[in-house]
Amino acid sequence: MPLADVPLSLYVHFPWCVRKCPYCDFNSYTLRDELPEERYVAALEADLELQAREVAGREVISIFMGGGTPSLFSPEAIARVLAAARRHLRLADDVEVTLEANPGTIERGRFAEYRAAGVNRVSLGAQSFDAARLEALGRIHSPRETVRAAEELHAAGLTNFNLDLMYGLPGQDLPGALRDIEQALALEPAHVSHYQLTIEPGTVFAGVRPSLPTDEEIADMLPPVQERLAAAGFAQYEVSAYARPTRRCRHNLNYWTFGDYLGIGAGAHGKLTSAASGTIVRTSRIREPRRYLSSSAEPPVRREVQPAELPFEFAMNALRLTEGFSMGLFSRRTGLGAAAIEPTLSVLETRGLVARDGDRWYPTVVGLRFLNDALIEFLPDTPESAGKLRLSSAP
Amino acid sequence: MRHIRNFSIIAHVDHGKSTLADRLIQLCGGLEAREMQDQVLDSMELERERGITIKAQSVTLYYTARDGERYQLNMIDTPGHVDFSYEVSRSLAACDGALLVVDASQGVEAQSVANCYTAIEQGLEVVPVINKIDLPSADPERVIREIEEIIGIEAKDAVRVSAKTGENVPELLETLIRRIPPPKGDPDAPLQALIIDSWFDNYVGVVSLVRVVNGSLKVGDKIRVMSTGRTYNVDRLGRFTPKSVAERELATGDVGFVIAGIKEIDGAPVGDTITHERRPCESPLPGFKQIKPRVFAGLFPVNSEDYESFRDALAKLRLNDSALHYEPEVSGALGFGFRCGFLGLLHMDIVQERLEREYHLDLVTSAPTVVYEVVRTDGSVAYVDNPAKLPPQNEIEEIREPIIIANILVPPDHVGAVLKLCNEKRGVQKKMQYLGTQVSLQYELPLAEVVLDFFDRLKSVSRGFASFDYEFSHFQKAPLVKLDVLINGDRVDALSIIVHRENAYQRGRELVDKMQELIPRQMFEVAVQAAIGSQIIARATVKPLRKNVLAKCYGGDVTRKRKLLEKQKEGKKRMKQLGQVEIPQEAFLAVLQVGRKS
Repeated sequence: MPLADVPLSLYVHFPWCVRKCPYCDFNSYTLRDELPEERYVAALEADLELQAREVAGREVISIFMGGGTPSLFSPEAIARVLAAARRHLRLADDVEVTLEANPGTIERGRFAEYRAAGVNRVSLGAQSFDAARLEALGRIHSPRETVRAAEELHAAGLTNFNLDLMYGLPGQDLPGALRDIEQALALEPAHVSHYQLTIEPGTVFAGVRPSLPTDEEIADMLPPVQERLAAAGFAQYEVSAYARPTRRCRHNLNYWTFGDYLGIGAGAHGKLTSAASGTIVRTSRIREPRRYLSSSAEPPVRREVQPAELPFEFAMNALRLTEGFSMGLFSRRTGLGAAAIEPTLSVLETRGLVARDGDRWYPTVVGLRFLNDALIEFLPDTPESAGKLRLSSAP
Repeated sequence: MRHIRNFSIIAHVDHGKSTLADRLIQLCGGLEAREMQDQVLDSMELERERGITIKAQSVTLYYTARDGERYQLNMIDTPGHVDFSYEVSRSLAACDGALLVVDASQGVEAQSVANCYTAIEQGLEVVPVINKIDLPSADPERVIREIEEIIGIEAKDAVRVSAKTGENVPELLETLIRRIPPPKGDPDAPLQALIIDSWFDNYVGVVSLVRVVNGSLKVGDKIRVMSTGRTYNVDRLGRFTPKSVAERELATGDVGFVIAGIKEIDGAPVGDTITHERRPCESPLPGFKQIKPRVFAGLFPVNSEDYESFRDALAKLRLNDSALHYEPEVSGALGFGFRCGFLGLLHMDIVQERLEREYHLDLVTSAPTVVYEVVRTDGSVAYVDNPAKLPPQNEIEEIREPIIIANILVPPDHVGAVLKLCNEKRGVQKKMQYLGTQVSLQYELPLAEVVLDFFDRLKSVSRGFASFDYEFSHFQKAPLVKLDVLINGDRVDALSIIVHRENAYQRGRELVDKMQELIPRQMFEVAVQAAIGSQIIARATVKPLRKNVLAKCYGGDVTRKRKLLEKQKEGKKRMKQLGQVEIPQEAFLAVLQVGRKS
């Protein structure tokens, strides 16, 4: 089955933060000296120019500037990055351009300037509206700053914004989790990302484990929260994502529907399909920012995804969506026939983890909670491929 | 014949038997120094690691004594564990004397006592030897008193040696020649050769170690194995020095090996008698027994594809281990496997370890059980080696369990704890004697209780000082019931056990608690119940896992997420799937971990 035209996005990574949070396992670094804004933007430009050649002629449907803290960068710097994107890529007329922002880094009037630079969507890291919880999470901002940032967004006309919230926090109970939701809704976001705090290896919290509520307490927080969000018009469409109608994040949806993306910036990963050669390639950039600065004009590390790995990689993304995926999408994205994935789906169906509706497969309510149990069934039997993956993606 | 000495070394594990044997071989020039490997007698890797001898072997040594005469010393090794008491008795039957080796600091232990009595009963001359006199904690005088009080033999002249340094070992050889009598036997009588041990060799088939009691055996002779009546031609004869040396003949009193084209280990059972086809002896030598396995367990490959290689591996082990029994078993819970019979728990451990180590098999074992004699209401008797196969309650007239006689030696300080343990294990005291620094106890104990964890418990309640030996005695009626385990309402055949009615509730409680601990949380609640018939006597619940999903997944590095999931998958692979529930292998042995208050 031939690989059909796959939608393309652009991800741009900004690796620095005022202070790295103790739970964060992203490629981010506490900024110790002055921000090397000029040099980093120049490196991004070179990176973009080089990698854009791979996707010549293809339309870009979304851009996501994530981190780290992209809002540490000035509106001028963001404008330069977006100008480079326009120069080297063909952007769709309605391209979605998201900027991640930390409420603690927003000065008055700043969002309007970002908007002028081309940003039309913002993701604001609120996390909680309880000062004690924010402190436990090591956040640099206060609830008051989040409220002000949201007001700024509305004032700037950036009404399409997301609030990141976390739950299952140290010392949090169900009323506390619900209070966070109320305060978030009061700020009238278009989108809410509601994550469970999990302890990831290699983070400060993995070393000094905070005392979290029990699994039961955490699990019991979710249904009332979801009910409240639904009542406010926010429908869940992914494990942790809720949106008003038409306000789903197009960029993330492209990940979850196994679309393509260029990865620009320190530690950025990309995924590119070549319909001509029938291959899917993952790219990665050096993680460490200083080394990235001096190497961004060189080609990224490339690794071809083997056909045996595709069902797993596809399912890992597509089964996160409440509406799942159609068999047609699977074939267009992977080039594989239904036989490559349907036997596994059928087994999961008997276990009540997935269900089907016509040619669409989707996770059940239980399946969404136990997605890992479903996903391991898609892993190829020999972990050999994972070995290869580790080998070449580590810069 | 006057210059032959056939002897064994009786010693407790770790009292230095192998080191002493090595020293004797070295002194008699059996091996050049460069060939000398420590402890040559314990040849199997596993035996070395566990410090025990599993299969008997023999060594023929030549020693020129101070009287100027050259003697042939046949040293016959004996297995050193309670599970192998029959094999020990056959090894001793081939001897005219025995060296009783006792550790100069640890003193007499039950196992040596039992073997020593076996030797005395068979009319062997027992020569006491005090070993490890080089240790600072050595107290030969106390140990000599113990030997006299506990075993009841004269020990004042016991030879004091250090096998490690070689001190006094030459004196030991002289004493041995003086004290142990030469073999008796009639060279002109019809052939009677005792099979001391048999093992399977890939090139020549069965090799049997024999002691020629009467008559003589030559290459080319047509022989008959008396219990089977089958005949063979002797292809090769010889002895181990310890290297194998071919001989034309084994004369009266000799110890050596016979190779006669026997293809199966059952063709030459230990304790059997070999005679000539043309001029047979009237009756076999006394003491031959068909050995019966006493402990049974189901062994199942974790991966069902391994079934065939598992079968092959058992067949290969069986070639050398006539005590190992197996037959196919199908378990609803564990699939296709084999019901295996063993002499005891140690034997079971050894077989299991060899299967895993030498044949690379991943096995799940159901709880070991003893054989019960079940009388049905129609009067028929069945031997049940699998709780799942116990007839329905209403068809059972009575159940009889195997009882053993246990001999325990323990210092007085720990007697109280040992008595309490024996009581708890439903023991009936037969004898209790204070013998100097030790107390000798004799108990009748249900074998099932011993199989469970008696040996470990005995060691722990006595801080390692108690020693123990047992032999099968008889079957005895007892109020026994089958205890079933239900997982989410389904009876799991591999988890059923037969227990004493009085202990049933406590065992059931402990068992479900232990299972609850061992079963990981899953997507749904898992109910573990213990039941007698249709009556549930205990219940525990494994709370459900609430979720198992990555909170975030975007376009970043998939490697780490994949690794995490691969780890989860590996974990699942090591579990057995019972319906929807995943049970780790250890849970099937949980029954071994209950009934002990640690």
